[in-house]
Amino acid sequence: MNQESSRPSSRSRWVAYVLSALVALALGLYAFRLLPEPAPGSRDSGPLLAVSLPDADGHPQSLSQWRGRLLVVNFWATWCAPCREEMPMFVRAQAAYGAKGLQFVGIAVDDAVKVRQFANEIGLNYPALIGGYGAMELSKSLGNSVMALPFTIVIGPKGDVVLTQLGPVRAAQLERLVADFL
Amino acid sequence: MPKPAAAESLRRGARRARAPVARLLALVGLALLVLEIGPGHAQVKLLPTEEAFRFSARALDARTVEANFAVADGYYLYRDKLRFSAGTPAVTVGTVELPAGKVKDDQFFGKVETYRDRVVVRLPLENTAAGQSVTVRADSQGCADVGVCYPPNVQSVTLTMPQPGGPSGPLIDANPPKKRWFN
Repeated sequence: MNQESSRPSSRSRWVAYVLSALVALALGLYAFRLLPEPAPGSRDSGPLLAVSLPDADGHPQSLSQWRGRLLVVNFWATWCAPCREEMPMFVRAQAAYGAKGLQFVGIAVDDAVKVRQFANEIGLNYPALIGGYGAMELSKSLGNSVMALPFTIVIGPKGDVVLTQLGPVRAAQLERLVADFL
Repeated sequence: MPKPAAAESLRRGARRARAPVARLLALVGLALLVLEIGPGHAQVKLLPTEEAFRFSARALDARTVEANFAVADGYYLYRDKLRFSAGTPAVTVGTVELPAGKVKDDQFFGKVETYRDRVVVRLPLENTAAGQSVTVRADSQGCADVGVCYPPNVQSVTLTMPQPGGPSGPLIDANPPKKRWFN
């Protein structure tokens, strides 16, 4: 074989090796991601359902009253921009699927005055409970180890925790939950 | 039996046929790689607030402290939430000039200034004495680009104010890194 034909062929073989290595790496990473992630929080909704907090008008509300519904408990605060950003979507979902059994409950790491003001601003149509800073500790005990917001826990109608998420909830996730549980 | 030239052209043909498959595989691989490491991937590893916003300070002289925030990559602090105070009786922090931040147009909070990477602030202290042990507190609040925010946080360091004309004090970390590879 002469020089001209051997050079490109060895180069292309080299390129193929690199590409195969990349493909293998990517497939490996992808497969790794498909493995079930260890749940950051407990699957037991008992401790959360046992919580009772005042609503924005000062009346105590126990989370257990929503047992049996698809319960989305969202820890948020008025000082948290990503929290404020996702809440209008929750308002729409509550309006659309509330009758089918979807129930949002906000737990604010905040004070009642600011919560009432923001609730009016976005036309909040689900309970906003006032947790103060203690709610941050509560969320930590439920899996929010870095104590950041928003933090959301979804409890299925059978009472098991079906989603624990730090960071905004995407519309597709909500749709999947509604499709799976309602 | 094919001639050498014909064999070469056959081999080239086979290479040509394989090339699209390899290219397709490479594309799929790269796409997966981008999906894997790219933005928007849920459940990212987040730092606890003290590691995302690392506060340290040193005494420059008996009446001045230099406060530092090392902000981790992908995180930012709000300028208007940054406050410094003294945790030592009688000692107060004078007027502080915060450096200008990067203006961020926030959907809810309007134009807000944020700090990334590093913020250095000079704190003029009042009623201090050389050799005195002084606690400096920093109130801060920040977020991560992935879409989470941390609650307002207080970190503090205790410094020994230097003697007049003496060298500046050492840089003290409010929360020293847990893992130390040396010393």
